[in-house]
Amino acid sequence: MIVPRVVRWLDDRLGTNAGARYLLAKIYPDHWSFYLGEFALYFFVTLVGTGIWLTFAFDPSPQGAYASVLTLADRAHPIGYMMRQIHHWSAVCFVAAILVHMGRIFFTGAFRRPREINWMIGFSMLALASFTGFTGYSLPNDLLSGTGIRISQSIALSIPFVGTWAASIFNGGDSYPGPLLFPHLYTLHVYYLPVTLGALIGLHLTLLIYQKHTQFERDPKHVVGRRFWPDYALRTIAVFGATLAALALLATLIEINPIENFGPYQPWLAANGSVPDWYTAFLEGALRLGPATEFHIFGHPIPPVFWPGLVLPTLTMGLLLLWPFIEKRLTGDGAAHDVLDVPTQVPLRVAVGAALIFEGILLTLAAADDQTAMTLHLRLESLVWWYRILFAVGPLVVGWIAWRVAAEMRARIVESAVYPSDVTTLVRTEEGGFEEEEPQPA
Amino acid sequence: MRIAFFLVLTIVGALGATAAAAVGAPPALLGVALVVAFLGLACAAGAAAVALHAPDDLREPREPHGPTAPTPLPDDGISRPAFGRLWLAALGAFGVLGLVPLISLARKPGRRVITGWRSGVRLVDENNRPIARDRLVDGSIETVFPQGGVGLAEGSAVLIRVDAELLRVAGEGGAADGYVAFSKICTHAGCPVAIYRHASHELYCPCHQSRFDVLHGARNISGPAPRPLPQLALDVDAQGYLVARGDFGAPVGPDDWDRFS
Repeated sequence: MIVPRVVRWLDDRLGTNAGARYLLAKIYPDHWSFYLGEFALYFFVTLVGTGIWLTFAFDPSPQGAYASVLTLADRAHPIGYMMRQIHHWSAVCFVAAILVHMGRIFFTGAFRRPREINWMIGFSMLALASFTGFTGYSLPNDLLSGTGIRISQSIALSIPFVGTWAASIFNGGDSYPGPLLFPHLYTLHVYYLPVTLGALIGLHLTLLIYQKHTQFERDPKHVVGRRFWPDYALRTIAVFGATLAALALLATLIEINPIENFGPYQPWLAANGSVPDWYTAFLEGALRLGPATEFHIFGHPIPPVFWPGLVLPTLTMGLLLLWPFIEKRLTGDGAAHDVLDVPTQVPLRVAVGAALIFEGILLTLAAADDQTAMTLHLRLESLVWWYRILFAVGPLVVGWIAWRVAAEMRARIVESAVYPSDVTTLVRTEEGGFEEEEPQPA
Repeated sequence: MRIAFFLVLTIVGALGATAAAAVGAPPALLGVALVVAFLGLACAAGAAAVALHAPDDLREPREPHGPTAPTPLPDDGISRPAFGRLWLAALGAFGVLGLVPLISLARKPGRRVITGWRSGVRLVDENNRPIARDRLVDGSIETVFPQGGVGLAEGSAVLIRVDAELLRVAGEGGAADGYVAFSKICTHAGCPVAIYRHASHELYCPCHQSRFDVLHGARNISGPAPRPLPQLALDVDAQGYLVARGDFGAPVGPDDWDRFS
């Protein structure tokens, strides 16, 4: 057989068998939520695969981009149609999978010492995946995405001191769109960003293997679970197959980003109901809720887009990136943890997580406030004010409720451990009847 | 037999997709074949994993976490903290040097926004045709550019014809013959202010819903835009075509740090 011969040949030259044996026999704990990150990995694999094909079918020049994507959006070219559809669906699912995976890590406390580095790498990948998605979504140069790029340029311009410099580096000129804007977007999208993501994924997995996986089992001295080969190898192939089947199904059933309906970008045109891909919608929502006030510092303007477009995401990202250290400061727990928390075990974390999720959903909804106001026959201005009030008060209320619920659930878990309520002791009396015995502390 | 069945399904799906692509079948057929192929793979691997009945409580020891013992540093006759700080300073110096190529890419601060509007320049439409004074009826709009600058965002303006009497009552100074014109680039985030609501005489930005009062110099009614749309004062030339009286009355588009006021 060919496989053993190749394995022997490699082992003879590189001594690979020892390492391979170690990796194949490695034990990983088993829980359904540990597969969430794998979905993200396979979305990335799909993105690279379809993306390489698309680079040969796509014309990146600003003049030719729209026409070449129009060909790919045409059902008369089934291969191109499916490639682009799967690519775009995969991109929106990639960000979603990372977010859900991150939620699992967050609520179970898997980010605690010694895994803070992998948390920060993971969070960087969320930001990079969103940015990669945004650059890709912009490449067709259609009316919807072109408007988004224009807005991002305005946000870049609003940065104090360096805004005009940063925007001019990216734009390659003073007027908009500059001559280098699309070449820059293309290079970022097909080279810098995916290569960086690939390197970070490699680092992420290496650290995961090196530091060993966290688990729910209360045996801090051992990893308890299944072997990689053949148990997990088969399971991960199943995850891969399921990911691709889901993508093919989505691509077949629902057409994503129908640029043929948007038309090519013209800097003097815009359409009603312009809403970006879901993972950037919270920024669009923030821009819609932001105040119209423009400050001046020694004559330099601070444009209104600066606060919702830059300060808000930077603060949110900083909070999430540094959460392991913030939580350590708040709880004073600096010990190394290999055993996971049940989500309700730490009410503080549940409260912060719930508040952040609330803000994310609220801002995403605000990105469609014009359609909402029209559908519900509300005044748009009133709706904006309601959203603003919810933005300020909502996280406090939601966080407080989440805190109370988690604290209550934690108390019950502790109580049930002391007085197991599902165990009732019946004592048979001499007369033949039954009597319930008073519960005793365990 | 179950695993074999799923593997056959995978083969059928993959070859089916190949055939569908080869004969140019519609994407739906190609998609269904792909779903069958990948679902077959997932089910085959999943069924195989279940059929293994492998133990799920195997144990692998964890190493304790904690710092390792420090390795001795080369003796340079300076203290350990100073040694570390010097290395950091050396790296930082390279960081400063790294700013040079970065900054060399950027242009001088201060965007030179050239709109193309000057006194006497004719208004033209997307097809470079000049706008005669009877071009628009009351309540209609047109995207206009300075003659010779069609397609440039910074020069684009929205021309609106409203009741001349309303303009006179409102004291609108930049109007000519019932026409008013404003920069089409929103002062909030640079989106084109593309929608005109005739009944309330307001311009509406579809991106972030800023509203501007056309009868009063596009002053802000609501929304996140910080200032009015810059107005283009109009006139009618001897041949009866609309012309600009000068450049926009204010800087075009969103503000930035280098735009002093």
